[in-house]
Amino acid sequence: IMNALGLIQIGLVLLCTTTISSLQCNHLPLQQRKVIKNSLQLLDKMGKKFPRQCLREKMSFRFPEQVLNPGQKEIVKVAIEEIFQHIFYIFSKNVTLAAWNGIALEQFQNGLYQQIEQLEACVVKKQTHYFQSKEVNRLKLKKYFQKIDCFLKDKQHNLCSWEISRAEMRRCLQLIDKVVRKL
Amino acid sequence: WKELSGCQKVTRMECDFSSAITEYYDTHHVRIRAERREEVSPWSSIFEMIPYCIAQIGPPEIELQSTNGVIKIKVSPPEAKMWINPLNFKYNLVIWENSSSAEFRSLSIFPTDIIDDLAPDTTYCLKVQATIPLDLKEGLFSPIHCVKTTHKAVNDLVCATNVSIFALNMKFHLHWNNQYKQHVSYNVQYLMGYLKKLYDDYSMKWLNVPRCENITDTQCNFSSIITATSGFYYLRVQTMSEYNKSCLSDEVKVDPLITNEIGPPDVKLDISDVLLHIQISPPGASESDFMRDYYEFSYRILYWKNSSNNEEEIKMKEIKQTIGTVSDLTPSTLYCVKVQAFSELYNKSSHYSKEECIKTPGDKILPLIILATFITALIAVCLVATTLVFALYQAYSKIKYVFFPSCQPPLNIEHFGGQLFSSPYLPTAEELIENCSIIETIITEEVNQIDFKDYKHSKQSSRDSGNYSNDDDTSGSKVSGERVEKEIV
Repeated sequence: IMNALGLIQIGLVLLCTTTISSLQCNHLPLQQRKVIKNSLQLLDKMGKKFPRQCLREKMSFRFPEQVLNPGQKEIVKVAIEEIFQHIFYIFSKNVTLAAWNGIALEQFQNGLYQQIEQLEACVVKKQTHYFQSKEVNRLKLKKYFQKIDCFLKDKQHNLCSWEISRAEMRRCLQLIDKVVRKL
Repeated sequence: WKELSGCQKVTRMECDFSSAITEYYDTHHVRIRAERREEVSPWSSIFEMIPYCIAQIGPPEIELQSTNGVIKIKVSPPEAKMWINPLNFKYNLVIWENSSSAEFRSLSIFPTDIIDDLAPDTTYCLKVQATIPLDLKEGLFSPIHCVKTTHKAVNDLVCATNVSIFALNMKFHLHWNNQYKQHVSYNVQYLMGYLKKLYDDYSMKWLNVPRCENITDTQCNFSSIITATSGFYYLRVQTMSEYNKSCLSDEVKVDPLITNEIGPPDVKLDISDVLLHIQISPPGASESDFMRDYYEFSYRILYWKNSSNNEEEIKMKEIKQTIGTVSDLTPSTLYCVKVQAFSELYNKSSHYSKEECIKTPGDKILPLIILATFITALIAVCLVATTLVFALYQAYSKIKYVFFPSCQPPLNIEHFGGQLFSSPYLPTAEELIENCSIIETIITEEVNQIDFKDYKHSKQSSRDSGNYSNDDDTSGSKVSGERVEKEIV
């Protein structure tokens, strides 16, 4: 029954997908490269160097790097979009305690959101059975972000937890940057 | 295997074990067995599941407000610990007129959104579902809400209309119209695109565009707020009339690199003998290299011969660099060029630049003239130099001969005294008398020597090789003969 439900869901989505204006989906990786570079710069601009006192609290979150293996383009694009969405969510929370540069943060979020929108239009069109086969890695990805989310909540969004999260997100973006060059 | 709380000793055929699930992304195995007093059935087959994958998204909550001929809607995400990222949700609204022959319209909305293009004074019914597109999940629909639209307020006459954007080379201008021109001033406001995605109320987050506050002109330059990679923006015009009445126009969305129009590039032509060089300055290059970085321009060059009969074909060339060359030119012809910049990355192209024309040089006469002139000059210089050197040499040798002679007189007149050779051109009558007597004795001995010489010559003629050794022998004997003569003298 579960499988049937899943299939119906997929069917519905494919049926209900309205015509999407032709975006330059082929050129998306090239466009992305510049945006990601810019996002990394903004991420650095947001705050100062990683504070020494927070080193003690550093945790290993273990980002599932295999999800970005440049095997099949479509799968990687889906993974990148998922990562962008999570990063976007994390930075939309209450960052007042981090005392970051508000303008840089806004620009970072705005740039990220634009990428999410563009990817969404390109990726959702093509999703079919690819999704099912590589689900395991995507779930690991969700777990990773859940860990960061819980970490922030536990530390009540204090400065160190934010700085650690920012460093972690920076690493994610750098990994994406590397992969996008190969796409 | 652990006990599943909420499903222990259940009498019905279903149970709720939500509280037992904490890891939403791990695979869980579930098995069940029946118990009756002391008897237990064997375990059922294993049911494998991942909570996140089988979970359905519940219906979202919606709040509606009908004002001014539009419907304002506010959606709250379905509450669940499972959905750690409520920003993942994309909301799908289905709306239809509450009449018999109703058409269903489906559109994607933001958590806080406005549904316009509705007929006034009509009842509409709608329902919303939350979806997670990436996971191909579609949630359950909310219950159907019906609402009646109001009529549009007369106030709208004041509102700015036809809000449109003109953007060239990253200079962005907003233009609008207003029928009601008396006593109005405008405020242009912008909103960062991502704010609409959040659940927070963004109505307070609209900001005034600098230098477009309280203006009376129906246009605004908002380039100052645009940075290319910082995503897209929304713009609107607030019209303020007397009596403090204000009205907000429709919003327009600006995606900088997509909305922007590319201007034509600058072209400079340069001609050498066989090649036409086309130097292209990318559009927007005067301000910054910014456009070039993001658009990654390529250039389309059109060139043709501009002759009296307009039947010359136009040739095309596409290049990625900013310098193009055209070869195979015919001499003494006027060539015209125009260039267009295009970006494959963004599927945009500029207009063609102004035509630039240049004439190819004539035949090979001119270079030949130059060559001839050069060679002539070279020869002339060589001649002059040679003559000069020769004249100098002659002068030098004459001077040397007069003032610094290097020749020695013969040995047999050497002992006439040193004063004789200080001035060889002065007559010396006295010494002549003495010479007479000596010469006589020498002559008699010389006759014998002549014989020797003749003999020597005949010897030479009869032999071809080894002359020198023989000559030495004869000359040796000759010398000794001379010495003998001297002593006699």
